Amino acid sequence: MGDTSLELLQGTLDVLMLKALSWGPQHGYGVAELIRMRSGEALKVEEGALYPALHRLERRGWLESEWGVSENNRRAKFYRLTGAGHAQLRASTEHWLAYADAVTRVLQSA
Amino acid sequence: MAEDNARRARPWPFRRLLRLAVRPPALEQDVDEELRFHLELSVERLVQSGMAPEAAREEALRRFGDVAHYRDTCVELSRRREREMGRALRWGALVQDVRYGVRGLLRTPGFTLVAVLTLALGIGANTAIFGVVRGVLLRELPYPEPERLVRLWQVAPENPKGAFSFPDFEDWRTGAQSLEAAGAWFYAEGRTGGDLVGDGEPQRLSIAYVTDGFFQALGRTPQLGRPLQAQDHVPGQADVLVLSHGLWQRRFGGSKDVVGSTVTLDGKPCTVVGVMPRGFDFPSPSAEAWLPVASLTQNRVPWQQRASRWLAGVGRLKPGVTLATARAELDGMARSLEAEHPDSNTRFSGATVVPLHESMVGEVKTSLLVLLGAVAFILLIACANLANLLLARGTVREQEIAVRAALGASPGRLARQLLTESLLLALAGGLLGLGIAVLGSEGLVRLASGRLPRAGEVELDGSVLAFTLGLSALTGVLFGLLPALRAAAPSLQPLLKGASPGQGSGGGRRLRGGLVVAEVALAVMLASGAGLAARSLAHLLSTDMGFDAQGVAVVGFSIGSSHSEELTTYYQRVLEAVRAVPGVESVGAAKTLPGQSDVEMLRVAVPGKPEELVRANVLHISRDYFRTLHIPVKAGRDFTDDDRGGENARRVVVVNEAFVRRYGLEGDPVGQTLALGGPPVTIVGVVGDTRQAGPSEPAEPMLYLHALQNIRVGVNLLVRGRGDPLRVAADVQKAVWSVDSNQTITRITSLEQVMSEGVARPRLLAVLMGLFAALGLLLGAVGIYGVLAYTVSQRRREIGVRLALGATPGDVLRMVVGGGLRLVGVGLAVGLAGALMLARLMDSVLYGVRPHDPITFISVVVGLLGVALIASWLPARRATRVPPAVALRAE
Repeated sequence: MGDTSLELLQGTLDVLMLKALSWGPQHGYGVAELIRMRSGEALKVEEGALYPALHRLERRGWLESEWGVSENNRRAKFYRLTGAGHAQLRASTEHWLAYADAVTRVLQSA
Repeated sequence: MAEDNARRARPWPFRRLLRLAVRPPALEQDVDEELRFHLELSVERLVQSGMAPEAAREEALRRFGDVAHYRDTCVELSRRREREMGRALRWGALVQDVRYGVRGLLRTPGFTLVAVLTLALGIGANTAIFGVVRGVLLRELPYPEPERLVRLWQVAPENPKGAFSFPDFEDWRTGAQSLEAAGAWFYAEGRTGGDLVGDGEPQRLSIAYVTDGFFQALGRTPQLGRPLQAQDHVPGQADVLVLSHGLWQRRFGGSKDVVGSTVTLDGKPCTVVGVMPRGFDFPSPSAEAWLPVASLTQNRVPWQQRASRWLAGVGRLKPGVTLATARAELDGMARSLEAEHPDSNTRFSGATVVPLHESMVGEVKTSLLVLLGAVAFILLIACANLANLLLARGTVREQEIAVRAALGASPGRLARQLLTESLLLALAGGLLGLGIAVLGSEGLVRLASGRLPRAGEVELDGSVLAFTLGLSALTGVLFGLLPALRAAAPSLQPLLKGASPGQGSGGGRRLRGGLVVAEVALAVMLASGAGLAARSLAHLLSTDMGFDAQGVAVVGFSIGSSHSEELTTYYQRVLEAVRAVPGVESVGAAKTLPGQSDVEMLRVAVPGKPEELVRANVLHISRDYFRTLHIPVKAGRDFTDDDRGGENARRVVVVNEAFVRRYGLEGDPVGQTLALGGPPVTIVGVVGDTRQAGPSEPAEPMLYLHALQNIRVGVNLLVRGRGDPLRVAADVQKAVWSVDSNQTITRITSLEQVMSEGVARPRLLAVLMGLFAALGLLLGAVGIYGVLAYTVSQRRREIGVRLALGATPGDVLRMVVGGGLRLVGVGLAVGLAGALMLARLMDSVLYGVRPHDPITFISVVVGLLGVALIASWLPARRATRVPPAVALRAE
């Protein structure tokens, strides 16, 4: 992944995380796993990068966090989408699809 | 739902902040734990998928990336979020407190209204007085480096603040090493001036005649043109003048071309050389122009004579020179002048040097500080009152507060809630008070009617607003703190168990009692001050002046230069014309009115005792002056028209009894002669003493000269006629104009009005102190009433039981009133002690009343007891009407 796509990547990562959490509360590892699996392992993200992103989204009020117990009985921090988060996910999704569609059309036009 | 949970889980911000302070690494621990969980789970999953533990750990770390970097970023983000939340929470709590406070206050509109009005009065009075104090006392004079400016006087026999003669002052001015510059002026309100003719109506100008150095000492440069300079002060030069900003605007329309133009002043051409900036009003706000002393003619003011003293001096100390140094040097100069000119300067052997600001506000300073103290007392009484009200309210609300505390509100939070309420009240009161202050300070300046120095500089500016705001906040804290502190430590158990509020709060009752004592004490001090000021004013008003001002009209004018050839003829013609006015009973004229300070003075050597000089006021009068003012002629006769001036005329004089006593005349004074310089004068009459300098000064020796023998251009007609003096004065003015239609009139009023202006300052003090004392008493009475009414309502049950057990209503009445009066008695004692101590500070503004005047203090005690009796009787009467059965059931 080249440096030139970093900015794009960041926006992308946010929307992917929101999407991952829209299926239910999840801890950081779970989010990483979901993204990896749903993308067919095509999107390779440095897992550590998820955490600053999670904290940032929480600060903007799109996520809420709470300490809970994980599936293997350990203390873990769970993130949950807030109402604002849901709205943001819808908006980002629309935006992203329109963007991708436009880029795709340009690239596919002979 | 989730949000609700989250809000409830949020700890109180203080505690949260505290936790942060105690355990700073909490955030880091959270982040570490989160990341550790991720890595461990990652390794676990990889091992499950068949990797060796070591390889799995490496793979997990590789997938994760730079752990340290991500950790730091997360910690930083969490920290920022923490701060934001803390801020939002505190802000939210404040908004909540305010909203809750406003709601609480609106629920009890009566209480809120009383509280806000009380505060508005207190804060408004304080702001108004502070505005005046700031303008008059605190603000610097509008000259560069004003602290170096000093007022100068020559020490004269019996008078440390004597005037200068022109030659003496010039010697001081040019010789003094400690002064950077010095100047002198001659100005008398309404008397020094000239007639300005030219385009527009002829106008009487108020003129200050100044010496060289006047503008240089003050250090203000003209807005246009130049100040007066050395060459302007050489006699015989073309006349020049400098205009005030006001005159320039009114008369010349603010035109820049005025500099260099020529105007006609008293029939002579005069060149305008400069215009002073707005606000330059030295020596008086009514001065309209400044001319060199040299433009005065010798027959008007003999300004070149060393013995003729009529100038006031101002100087600017050189940087670093102290007052003491300047005094020592000028004293020395006065003594060497005395040695050089024994004829004119014997016993004029010193200098008086006082900072200019002090010399301007000196007399009024004490009055203003007394008033400032009085309004501060009012505010304190208001605070005590409100603290009492809030305490009572707090007791009623004890149950509510206890419940809130039990539900988890921290004591700090509860205290803050109550403090917010009192601050809200104080700010509302301050806002309303500002309105009162605007009206109040205007009224105050008007009430002082020109006797308040620097009144033009009184305005409600930023710093006064800041004062009000600060005062409001301080007030809010002051009266809110006690109730808040008490609420912060509620004793929960008994209240939650259902005990009735108000029980078991003996501390509260003592506190309220203490507040009543303080209120009464403050009210006593206020009332004593007001009583002293009122007695002083009454003394001044009832003083026998030696003449009768009632019903006398005053018309003042200066004989214009067009009559300079036939001054006495014109004078006679005017008097004849006025005598002929229908309804006029008698007419007299004098150069100076009683009560005016600018009277001429003469020092007469006592025969046989050349060391002893009698200082006598000299007044130039017409015949019938004594008859008009009802001054008794004790011996000899009044002047007549036959005592004319002329080459060989016998020069005559009338003296008063004080002069006879001081001069030591033996036998019948009538017919004896006096040496006043020049040919001897014969005493033809002796009249009763008058207090020429005003009611606060003793009667001084007077020499009355006949205006026909010693004419002066300044004339005040005194007319006793039938009907309203002001109407008579208007007719007199017409009569003057019938002789010369161009005669400018400088004043038209009644003598009573002039006398009343003379006591404007004592009256201002008495009126304001009276007002403040009334306010203080009212608030104090409300306080006593409030506390007793509350106590009675709290003791209904006890009173009911007493009545049921056979106590008579009289017993109950005595019990309640006695309780109230006990508090009042303590307050009276404390207040009297304080008042006796403070009264000494008022000594310098009291006339004819000693600061420990027993009548004042006895009346204050009686008056206050009366008020207290009424205030405690009302609630007591209500207590006796408690029907026993109802009282017992009330619980």
